[in-house]
Amino acid sequence: MIRHMILRNVMYRPVRTCITIIAVAIEVTLVLIVVGLTSGMLSDTAKRIEGIGADIMVQPPSASIFMAFSGAPMPIEIGQKLAQIKNVRAVAPVLLQFNSTNGLDIIYGIDPESFREVSGGFVFHDGRDLQNANDILVDDWYAKGRKVKVGETLHVLGHDFNVAGIVEHGKGARLFVLMSTLQELSGARDKASVFFIRCDHPEQTAKVIGAISQLLPHYEVRPLRDYLSLMTSSNLPGLQTFIHSMIMLAAGIGFLVILLSMYTTIIERTREIGVLKSLGASRGYIVRVILSETIALCLAGILLGVAMSYTVRWLFLTAFPTLTIVVAPSWLLRAAAIAIIGGLVGASYPAWIASRKDPVEALAYE
Amino acid sequence: MEPILKTENLWKIYRAGRLDVAALRGVNVDVYPGEFVSVMGPSGCGKSTLLHVIGGLSQASRGRVLLDGNDLAALGDAGRTLLRRHKVGFVFQRFNLLPTLNAKGNIALAQHIHGDGFDPHRFDVVTRMLGLTDRLDHRPSELSGGEQQRVAIARAIINEPKIVLADEPTGNLDTKNSENVLGLLRQLNKDLGQTIVMITHNPEAAAYGNRVLHMRDGLVVDGASAN
Repeated sequence: MIRHMILRNVMYRPVRTCITIIAVAIEVTLVLIVVGLTSGMLSDTAKRIEGIGADIMVQPPSASIFMAFSGAPMPIEIGQKLAQIKNVRAVAPVLLQFNSTNGLDIIYGIDPESFREVSGGFVFHDGRDLQNANDILVDDWYAKGRKVKVGETLHVLGHDFNVAGIVEHGKGARLFVLMSTLQELSGARDKASVFFIRCDHPEQTAKVIGAISQLLPHYEVRPLRDYLSLMTSSNLPGLQTFIHSMIMLAAGIGFLVILLSMYTTIIERTREIGVLKSLGASRGYIVRVILSETIALCLAGILLGVAMSYTVRWLFLTAFPTLTIVVAPSWLLRAAAIAIIGGLVGASYPAWIASRKDPVEALAYE
Repeated sequence: MEPILKTENLWKIYRAGRLDVAALRGVNVDVYPGEFVSVMGPSGCGKSTLLHVIGGLSQASRGRVLLDGNDLAALGDAGRTLLRRHKVGFVFQRFNLLPTLNAKGNIALAQHIHGDGFDPHRFDVVTRMLGLTDRLDHRPSELSGGEQQRVAIARAIINEPKIVLADEPTGNLDTKNSENVLGLLRQLNKDLGQTIVMITHNPEAAAYGNRVLHMRDGLVVDGASAN
């Protein structure tokens, strides 16, 4: 009976019902897209770093695992010392630079030979390797997304580069230039942001890490095998705060809309509440009716929100093919829980008011 | 025979700003099972207040209300809610049907709140008696005033209450529908032995009852007891 009544109630005011459902859907979409975007970018970055094929990564002291946050404070000569450590097969210094021209990208400044030794080399879809100071390599996703072809000019970092080749994705960055060029453009002469190291055998990683830690105490030395698991938002305090803030904002939207919607509903249905009370409905019954209606609205909002999330994801990926947005099942459940809890909290005050209404006053309500 | 409803020195005082206004000033009434009592009196004499207090919708300020042996004055909100659910059926002047539900839903809602679930046999008997069988799928907005009041009566009696309290049940109806509704109430009283207390302004309507109780200034001035 309650289900029937709820269905009739939500259909009785279709505009208000739609607005409430859309607000909950926006809440769910906001949560899923913000989390999906951040975790997608992190996992994508991590996979690409892992894809380099190195065993160890060396960064300056206190450097973030999110390498784009780090500058270039390491002298490049460190690479020579690292190369002399026993069981180190190859060392590839890399200079990182953020590019904000036509989107956000990380550019790797590499020494092609050492990078090839560590990574096993690029797989070329088209073109050739870096040779000249103005050469740039782009990965296939970037080329597809930005419709870039070999031989074209690409304007990044305020500089015109010649697209020398298109390579298979998954080797750290989407854009690669010569290290010397990037050092020149970023004013970081003889500096590197990170050293990727390949051991003779992967099982020698721990031993080599020990040796590096002795040689460069306080430097961040990490096995790349663990990198993917480290690249989570919880290891990036600022990002975690951002995600929490966005979730709070989304939950706040849901809370306020449900509060307003249900408050309006009980004001409008004051006489109906009086009728229910005259029929002997308890306070609990009235609270149950209102909260059940809220849950019904939230469930509809969640379904719409999930559909909207996948639509927004598709739109984003169509507009920015290099983005990764992960809509994880665990976050689908969490977003649903956030929407329902926010809705129930928002509806609890109107429900409380309704349950305590004086039946005589309610029946006399015009 | 014990009265089904008995009030003893019943007072109801409202607070209006800084003033206390006594709507009931020591009402003593007995209603016996199977009676159809009409309550008459001028506006503001306390008729509706009496109905609200004896139906457990509001609490008495002083005195006792014994409904089927239960003292309403001693019951809290939850106790009075239970009493309304199991022993009282209300019929209002403005019908007070839920606009979102059809006639069937409005009647079945009372059964649902009562807690025994939908009883198709009782439902069938009541709707047939009230001539509602072909109007059950219609919403209140699609029913005439007379039909709406018949649905409200069906809702009031569906759970076989000890007493039906009707507050100006014909106040919003034309003459023909008023006669129809009053006839139905009398039929319920005669055929089913349903105890009814009805408030009305109209002496003709009051005549449908088998006792008329007159109120003035918060007091019952005539007809307080069948004796």
